[in-house]
Amino acid sequence: MIELRQLCRSFQIGDQCVHALEHIDLKIERGEYLSVMGPSGSGKSTLLNILGLLDTPSCGEYLLNQAATSQLSEEGRATLRREHIGFVFQSYHLIPRLTARENIELPLILAGMAPKQRKPLVDKVLTRLALTDRAAHAPNQLSGGQRQRVAIGRAIVMKPQLLLADEPTGNLDSVSGREVIELLEELNDEGITLLVVTHDQSIGERARRELKMIDGRIASDSANNTVATSTAP
Amino acid sequence: MRTADFIAFNLKLIERQRLRSAMLLAAIAISVMAINLLTGIGEGGKQFVLGEFNLLGKNVLIMLPGKKETTGGIPPLTGEATRDLTLRDAEAIARLGNVSAVAPLIAGKMEISHDKLSREAFTIGSNRAFFDIRQLEVAQGKALPQLPFEQSQAVCVIGSKLRKALFGTKPALGQWLRASDNRFRVIGILKDKGEGLGFDMNEAIIVPVANAQALFNQAGLFRVFIELRSLDGLQKSQQRIIALLKERHEGEEDVTIITQNSLLSAFENILNTLTLAVAGIAGISMLVAGILIMNVSLIAVSQRTREIGLLKALGCPARTVALIFLSEASIMALSGALLGIVISELLLYVARGLYPTIPFTTPLWAQLGSALIATATALLFAAIPAHKAANMAPVDALLDKKARQA
Amino acid sequence: MIARDAARLIWGSVCHSLGKSLLTALGIGIGIAAVSLLTSLGSGMQLYMLEQFSQFGTRIIAVNPGKDVTHGIGGLLSSVRPLSLDDAQALVDLPGVEFVVPVVQGAGAIEYSNRQRNSDILGVGAQMSKAWQFKVSMGRFLPEDPSGLSRAYAVLGYTMKQELFANTNPLGKTIRVGGLRFKVIGVIEKKGQMLGFDMDDLVYIPTDKALQLFNREGLMEIDITFTSATSSAQLAGRVKQVLSERHGDEDFSITTQDEMLLTMGNVLNVLTIGVAALGSISLFVGAVGITTIMTTTVRERSAEIGLLRAIGASRRQILGLFLGEAVLISLLGGLIGLSLLAAIAAALSLFVPALPLSLQPFFLTLALLASAFIGLLAGVIPAFHASRLNPIDALRAE
Repeated sequence: MIELRQLCRSFQIGDQCVHALEHIDLKIERGEYLSVMGPSGSGKSTLLNILGLLDTPSCGEYLLNQAATSQLSEEGRATLRREHIGFVFQSYHLIPRLTARENIELPLILAGMAPKQRKPLVDKVLTRLALTDRAAHAPNQLSGGQRQRVAIGRAIVMKPQLLLADEPTGNLDSVSGREVIELLEELNDEGITLLVVTHDQSIGERARRELKMIDGRIASDSANNTVATSTAP
Repeated sequence: MRTADFIAFNLKLIERQRLRSAMLLAAIAISVMAINLLTGIGEGGKQFVLGEFNLLGKNVLIMLPGKKETTGGIPPLTGEATRDLTLRDAEAIARLGNVSAVAPLIAGKMEISHDKLSREAFTIGSNRAFFDIRQLEVAQGKALPQLPFEQSQAVCVIGSKLRKALFGTKPALGQWLRASDNRFRVIGILKDKGEGLGFDMNEAIIVPVANAQALFNQAGLFRVFIELRSLDGLQKSQQRIIALLKERHEGEEDVTIITQNSLLSAFENILNTLTLAVAGIAGISMLVAGILIMNVSLIAVSQRTREIGLLKALGCPARTVALIFLSEASIMALSGALLGIVISELLLYVARGLYPTIPFTTPLWAQLGSALIATATALLFAAIPAHKAANMAPVDALLDKKARQA
Repeated sequence: MIARDAARLIWGSVCHSLGKSLLTALGIGIGIAAVSLLTSLGSGMQLYMLEQFSQFGTRIIAVNPGKDVTHGIGGLLSSVRPLSLDDAQALVDLPGVEFVVPVVQGAGAIEYSNRQRNSDILGVGAQMSKAWQFKVSMGRFLPEDPSGLSRAYAVLGYTMKQELFANTNPLGKTIRVGGLRFKVIGVIEKKGQMLGFDMDDLVYIPTDKALQLFNREGLMEIDITFTSATSSAQLAGRVKQVLSERHGDEDFSITTQDEMLLTMGNVLNVLTIGVAALGSISLFVGAVGITTIMTTTVRERSAEIGLLRAIGASRRQILGLFLGEAVLISLLGGLIGLSLLAAIAAALSLFVPALPLSLQPFFLTLALLASAFIGLLAGVIPAFHASRLNPIDALRAE
């Protein structure tokens, strides 16, 4: 489903050029469960942003469903994000003035779906996440775990193929953290491709495929046990 | 906290919020500029108009025939009355103690011709004193000669435009003009005083009053200008003139005396009111700017909640916290006002270049006043947010209860 | 995104920080109120002036002696070629002419028994009351006498009658006007002031008598009213022809009422626009306010903007949402402004009832539209800024 070919991303910080990603080659199949680990500054977040089409590579190609994305306009990328990709953030990023239900509904609203069609979809997600009795609450009336569940609900309501989670348990205590990670795994079992970026070894090891990143390169990939960086020219 | 520290602290803040500060500055500057600009234009217009009408000295009275009971309304300007003001009346006035000069006036329109050229001209019958009282200067030749009121002499002084119309580039002095059956020799040309708002003396012809009487077949005078020796006895002289005429007119008080001052002061009042009204309308924008200051300060207070908590935790008293916000507002207001004044001065400078005859200047009171109002508005509208900040409990502020939770 | 959802999202964010939104709207509101109040005053003034001038009827032509009346004093000055009563008489039979009124004005003493009042004396023709639509409240108006042989009759204005006769009947009494004896045959109803000229404190006498009284040769003005079948331009042409023939020259000037009204209307329009422009300075400051507040809003909500972008909102959608917010705040301001206007108008009509104020629905709607437009303009910069935010940076901003 996803293929990265010789992908680089560099930033200009002051007069210094920082190579956040260097010649990454990566293939992800539909339904996979990956974790990305590595120290701060190893390029995890940059990789996530590029996979989420929030950022564009400096060189190389990113193919999503066999289609190249580098030539897409900003608006085209927005459409792909809306339809194929769901995001879960460490700090939830819920809109405080909207209720749980409205936060989940937001992607459908942005897609221009009529209210009548939206309702059953949102109801289903609420039921699935056991949030039905919290639907009318504002985010600040919810616990951290509930907030992250709402954020997950918002990420899956459009039935995306890919779910990107950036430190999804970072702000949570261990009990709610476990609940959230189990929820994500259940979703993966139902067919969604899941990619979790984390510092937490115990969470990273739960994934079927583990990537370790160091200095903008994939240092190890449990799927093929070869060091991908060797492909650099 | 020392004042210098306050200023330094605030300047850093203002610098950090560059765009917002710039907008705030612009809002205040626009208001102050509008007030100053409009007062400047109003003052310029007023000075210009008053200058145009301020043709007579303070010690000159204007007498018109006829009288109306209702005062304060329009004086009987038509100059038509049941009894004429005569040259003999004027002579009698001239003999009064405090009177230094009297200029009788008959005015009309008449076709004036020279050779084949002719033109309808504003014709004034008067005497030598008229030139002094109206402050008319002669560019070429001389003014009307000193004559007894009732003696006629076939001479005239003409305005520069009339001269050009009738003579073109040829010399006019000593030439003869025809007006109905009479002929007048040109003895003087008036100095060009430029376009004015009142009568255009450049198109006028001035002849001795006795000639004008014959010309228009009219004994009654349109106006009599009376110049007094001193301003002191203005009221008393006015009464003596009226008493004299009452005596001469069989006990009837049938003339009206006005002073240019009374006319001008009414005029000045109107113009002042207008200037104030216009500046006031511009001042509404200051209110709007004030609301903006309040809004921005409120936002700043809620954004800087943590900072306030920190300051308080460090032992900063409530008064100082309030002062931080108030001094930020007043720094903005003062610099905005300064900017506004500078811009308005620049614009008025340009305006003076374009219209050199109109003295556009903003009076000092408007500049100081607008700066003061701007600062006062800023302080007034920043007072609520400052109070809010000062009264914040340090714990709440540090915890920032309202901090984003999403 | 469908319109209703967009509206709800915008409404939600405006209401979320209601205090801030309302304060911002209040700024625009004050501006809108100032502009609409001033234009209402302007158009009210215009209506008032039109009324003042058309109370003599609208089909009026005035002829003044002298070609050049730029000083507005043509009739007051002596002239070697005056307009005579015969000139006026010559116009009576022109086609389309309804009434002809020769006018001479002056001031003098008016006496009855031991009372005396100095005021205006107006010499007019017999057709004046009909031509100017002045109603006679007592007795009758001056009769049609052969020119130059008018009988010594006088008609009093309302104030003049009160001053000389109080509540007694003036009809048939003899008064002295400038020393001459006149018999009172009528009283004109109360007319009030017109542009500072008291139309009640005067006495009307036949024109020829007035010319004698003031020892004057010519008229100050001839007023001609005409039937609706003729246009003012046509009649002005005929009058010009007749008088030019009689004088051998065009030494008079003709002003038609509609010309005058048009000129006056133009002047007042310019004034109204000028005053409205002054008022819009505050509107401008209000717009600066919207821009400022929207800028801080965008900064405050950049994480939210980043999130919206991440879940698939396009730049256009973000632009639309923030523009919509600016327009909504501004529209709210428009409504506040109109309410302020209504309150001020009510207060004014209570305390200064004489003030001519004309609230026109068209302009009020225009004010609302204008406020929406201002919001749009003021919102462009911050909304554009919001739509250009890099989603990654925006998400990171906390």
